[in-house]
Amino acid sequence: MSRDTLVSFEGVVKSFGNFVAVQRLDFEIKKGEFLAIMGSSGCGKTTTLRMLAGLEAPTEGVIRLSGKPINDLPTWSRDTPMVWQSLALFPFLNVRENVEFALKMRGVGKAERRRRAEQWLDRMQITEFAERNISQLSGGQRQRVALARSLVVEPEILLLDEPLSALDAALKVRMQSVLKNLQRETGITFVYVTHSQSEAFSMADRVVIMSRGNIEQIGTPQEIYRTPKTRFVADFLGSSNVFTGTLQRGSAGSGIEISTSVGRFDLDLPNNSNPLGQSATLTVLDTKTQLSHTRPAGANAVPVRMIGEEFVGATATIYLETSDGQEMRVQKGHQELAELDLEIGQSLFAWWRKEDGHLIASS
Amino acid sequence: MRRPISLYGLTFSLPLLIWQVLFFVFPLVFLVALSFWTVKNFVMRPDFDTVNWTTMYGRTVFWQAYGTTLALAAAASVLTSVLAFPAAYAVAFKLSDTSRRWAVFLMVIPFFTSYLVRVYSWQTFLSDNGIINVILSWIGLGPFVMLNTVGATMIGYLTLSFPLVVLLQLFSLVFIDRTLIEAAHNMRCGRLRTVFEVVIPSARTGLVIAALFCFILSFGDFVSPVYLGGGEPTTLSILITDTTKSGQQWPRAAVIALTMIGTLMVVAFVAVKFAYKGKSK
Repeated sequence: MSRDTLVSFEGVVKSFGNFVAVQRLDFEIKKGEFLAIMGSSGCGKTTTLRMLAGLEAPTEGVIRLSGKPINDLPTWSRDTPMVWQSLALFPFLNVRENVEFALKMRGVGKAERRRRAEQWLDRMQITEFAERNISQLSGGQRQRVALARSLVVEPEILLLDEPLSALDAALKVRMQSVLKNLQRETGITFVYVTHSQSEAFSMADRVVIMSRGNIEQIGTPQEIYRTPKTRFVADFLGSSNVFTGTLQRGSAGSGIEISTSVGRFDLDLPNNSNPLGQSATLTVLDTKTQLSHTRPAGANAVPVRMIGEEFVGATATIYLETSDGQEMRVQKGHQELAELDLEIGQSLFAWWRKEDGHLIASS
Repeated sequence: MRRPISLYGLTFSLPLLIWQVLFFVFPLVFLVALSFWTVKNFVMRPDFDTVNWTTMYGRTVFWQAYGTTLALAAAASVLTSVLAFPAAYAVAFKLSDTSRRWAVFLMVIPFFTSYLVRVYSWQTFLSDNGIINVILSWIGLGPFVMLNTVGATMIGYLTLSFPLVVLLQLFSLVFIDRTLIEAAHNMRCGRLRTVFEVVIPSARTGLVIAALFCFILSFGDFVSPVYLGGGEPTTLSILITDTTKSGQQWPRAAVIALTMIGTLMVVAFVAVKFAYKGKSK
């Protein structure tokens, strides 16, 4: 364990009766980082967060906070404040009382309590609502109260369980930058659980991707986006075209290629360590996949048929189908699309340079 | 949003409305009128004389009974609420869903028997040679005087309202958002402190309404103060019967009854106001 580790999960398992929510977690959270734990519902991400908060006890393994095991520490003896999905603000207290609550529980004196609460109300720009009831606030204001309430004790770590999921899209984006700035300015470690890729990737320094109680990959958003480690991650992100096949020596006599049901593709693997004949998965980002009317020379190409298009802001997604019915997608700017002059049902070639392909060994 | 009452809606509320007018508003109006009648030679005469009001309000015995009744009902509300809360809390938070259903079912059972029957059975427990004193005598204790005491009256009030108060408290406790409790724990609020800081404020409406029910039931109760308390000290309900028995003084009894109704209305209004304080904004 390195010096900049704040939290470590060591062989942590959590089961509820026969249901195993978390299979076996081994990972570390660094001091001062913004870590997102991401996955679809039921993947164990919330259970992981709740174990860290002390709201669930691990069935096996050890969780350490600053090196000390905290398994047997009840939640009220830990300093792991959490922001709930429902925010869990106290409706019978006003905004100021909500923010002062944690300080009151620590026996902080009245004047000091008020001063520190005032600071955070000001920082979160909710001073003018201090005397209001929670029910009189908008979603975004409540969000800020919840953050102020958790941060007023100036913790080392803040746990967030999908706190933005109830907000509308525009407010969500605004709160994302509030959160990110807050994390940067305070240096507090944020652990942020979400099912939303855009939230995780826009805010986090590192992302943990979980599936069925296991960690699929940990890395920076760029790493995960460009080089997914498992087939699950590639499928989950949905930003790559995925091909499965077997590795073999290149047909030109040099290099390595992968043989799939829609063709053989050259791989950019100068130092290949994967045994030939092994099955593997090739992923190509949809932004790196090109389209043309004729087969391009010297690139990996797949004959496809265009089946649809979808416009989202500045880019469009073109939906394609290979000869064996596999779906492919391509992201293109409007300018480029206009030049290609596409229509649905057209036969095309989807292609990419071999260095844009990414190999996942042992699919 | 307030909407005008439609004819359709009125069709369903009309029977209740008629019932209320016939058996609440009409007797109440009659009671008010009765309180101004006069009694001469044991015969009541319709009249408009404030003599009943001035006589009753001028009597120490009336104000003593009033104070006693108010104090007893208030004590019963507090005592019942305090005793019922741990039970309701345990059923709401510590039992499984199946056990909770059984607990609710068991708490309904006391209502199967008449309150009067339950009070009589308390007599066999509390009397000087009753069950409790017999058992105590086996270990050389007693006998203790338990029947015809204020304590016995209080037991009667508990018998009357305890199951109801537990149920009302329970229904307000089960609807508490559990994440609020977790959030309190997460902010260094221990178990017991959470009960006072979060659980009770969250369930305030239900807890106050439950106590109010206990107050209303105890305030007007006649059975317990007579059959368990032995009629001492005199409560307003006892005073009403005494007044009607002594010289056909129904108008004076009406004064007592109206005072009781007025008191209950004020108490209920204040309690409901307090129960919903800070809500519905």
